[in-house]
Amino acid sequence: MTRKKKNVLHVYRDISVFAAFSCLFGWLVVRGGREIAYTWHWNQIPRYFFQVDDGVYVSGPLMNGLQVTLQIIGLSLVLAGILGLTTALLRMSTSPVGRWIARIYLEIIRNTPLLVQIFFLYFVMAPILDVGRFATAVLALGMFEGAYASEIFRAGICSIGRGQWEAAYSSGLSTFDTYRKVILPQAIRRILPPLTSQAVSLVKDSALVSTIAVYDLTMEGRTVIAETFLTFEIWFTVAGMYLFITLILSAIASLLEKYVPQRTA
Amino acid sequence: MNENASGLKSQVQPIVVVDSISKSFTHNVKVLDNVSTRVTKGDVLVIIGPSGSGKSTFLRCLNGLEDIDQGTILIDGIPLDDHEKNRLKIRREVGMVFQSFHLFPHMTVLENVNLAQKLVRKKSKIEATQLSKDLLQKVGVDDKAAVYPNELSGGQQQRVAIARALALMPKIMLFDEATSALDPEMIGEVLDVIRDLANDGMTMVVVTHEMGFAREVSDRVLFMEHGCVIEEAPTERFFQQPAQERTRAFLRKIL
Ligand SMILES: Nc1ncnc2c1ncn2[C@@H]1O[C@H](COP(=O)(O)OP(=O)(O)O)[C@@H](O)[C@H]1O
Ligand SMILES: [Mg+2]
Repeated sequence: MTRKKKNVLHVYRDISVFAAFSCLFGWLVVRGGREIAYTWHWNQIPRYFFQVDDGVYVSGPLMNGLQVTLQIIGLSLVLAGILGLTTALLRMSTSPVGRWIARIYLEIIRNTPLLVQIFFLYFVMAPILDVGRFATAVLALGMFEGAYASEIFRAGICSIGRGQWEAAYSSGLSTFDTYRKVILPQAIRRILPPLTSQAVSLVKDSALVSTIAVYDLTMEGRTVIAETFLTFEIWFTVAGMYLFITLILSAIASLLEKYVPQRTA
Repeated sequence: MNENASGLKSQVQPIVVVDSISKSFTHNVKVLDNVSTRVTKGDVLVIIGPSGSGKSTFLRCLNGLEDIDQGTILIDGIPLDDHEKNRLKIRREVGMVFQSFHLFPHMTVLENVNLAQKLVRKKSKIEATQLSKDLLQKVGVDDKAAVYPNELSGGQQQRVAIARALALMPKIMLFDEATSALDPEMIGEVLDVIRDLANDGMTMVVVTHEMGFAREVSDRVLFMEHGCVIEEAPTERFFQQPAQERTRAFLRKIL
């Protein structure tokens, strides 16, 4: 058998296995619903996305929630990126104070639960700093993921050989230029895959901000359920929407990986 | 004061002055032990010695890639001390070529040679490219300007690395076993480039195991062992009548 034929067979086999599991799962859900006498109202779901009143588009709670979630994710991703890179550079800097600050930040963030950090920021820091719920959410998520991102940056930067530093330094480049033009461009290719999974974590962790009454996707979902008791439908839908976001993130990352060629020594 | 005499004096004034430097990595073992030397402008100093004797470390001290524990280094009148400014200034005057090339793999050959010109000399891309093209032609890889380093042979990579080091118009070039990582058939092409530089009057400090080449290009030879300078002499005298028994033993072994 040729390799090509074999590959096609593999694909068919995988698809059948996947279909079988999907059927089994669907059957379990339907059966479970029947057991507890759940009546499905999938037809009611679309209006929680949006409605068209007299030809005017009115977004529903799920769309509003999605928008807030996307905003939070976008902003905290940027914050996490900045914090992560800064902390990584501080940890590797020659300044003892810089290394010290970075260590303290990392230890605190990585050894306490995110939920506690969110509460701490919301109940303790937010009143002092006079920032709103949304800003608190972005700050908490950005700081949390930034700590993990910094370890990813550091590992990526350390993976670039000493020779590259020495070549750059002996060409008279400053440390700043060496990072900017020589080290980071090479490290980014190795950093991208783990950074993507960290971004996916951020998307999932963002649901926790609903605990401080930020009207994100999760919070809107809970509110709709409280009003309508469409528990299963809404949670399925909300989960699907998170899945949608993370899949798009991964797709962007693999596109980037494809177009940023791997050229390392 | 006689003007001629002072003019003469500035001509023979050494451009590299190393005064009793010492260095150790771990606390007790001295990798460099009280090393002193001088290099006159336009001269080629070749450093030889068994592996592990501290040749690379010495070379790396000259452009501040390693810090010294004791002694002083003066490059073109600039002291290599704790001042970051001096260190940067010296690195701009000193080009270095490594055993394993260390080209920037994410840049084309041309970009490799352009980089420092743009960042350090603040040249425009067009200005930088002009000089880079000349240098690449000089080392014979001008047809590879648009290619990435991993598509080049070792010999070509090393010649690009030499062009990159020359791009800042350095006053001094350091070569650390520039041909040791090369396949035998490529050693010649790299040595040719270094020889041309010597003939152009470039001041150079060259660590090499190629004794024939060392004898041919150098003005002086320095023999090092266990971090100490055993003997330093003008080339002909060094090879024909070495003063030290240890030098003679080393030369017997490798010639
Ligand atoms: N970064 C380093 N850390 C610790 N020891 C080192 C380091 N670099 C070199 N050495 C030691 O210094 C000695 C001299 O090394 P080197 O200068 O590379 O010698 P050579 O170039 O003559 O072969 C060796 O014993 C080597 O193990
Ligand atoms: Mg060496």
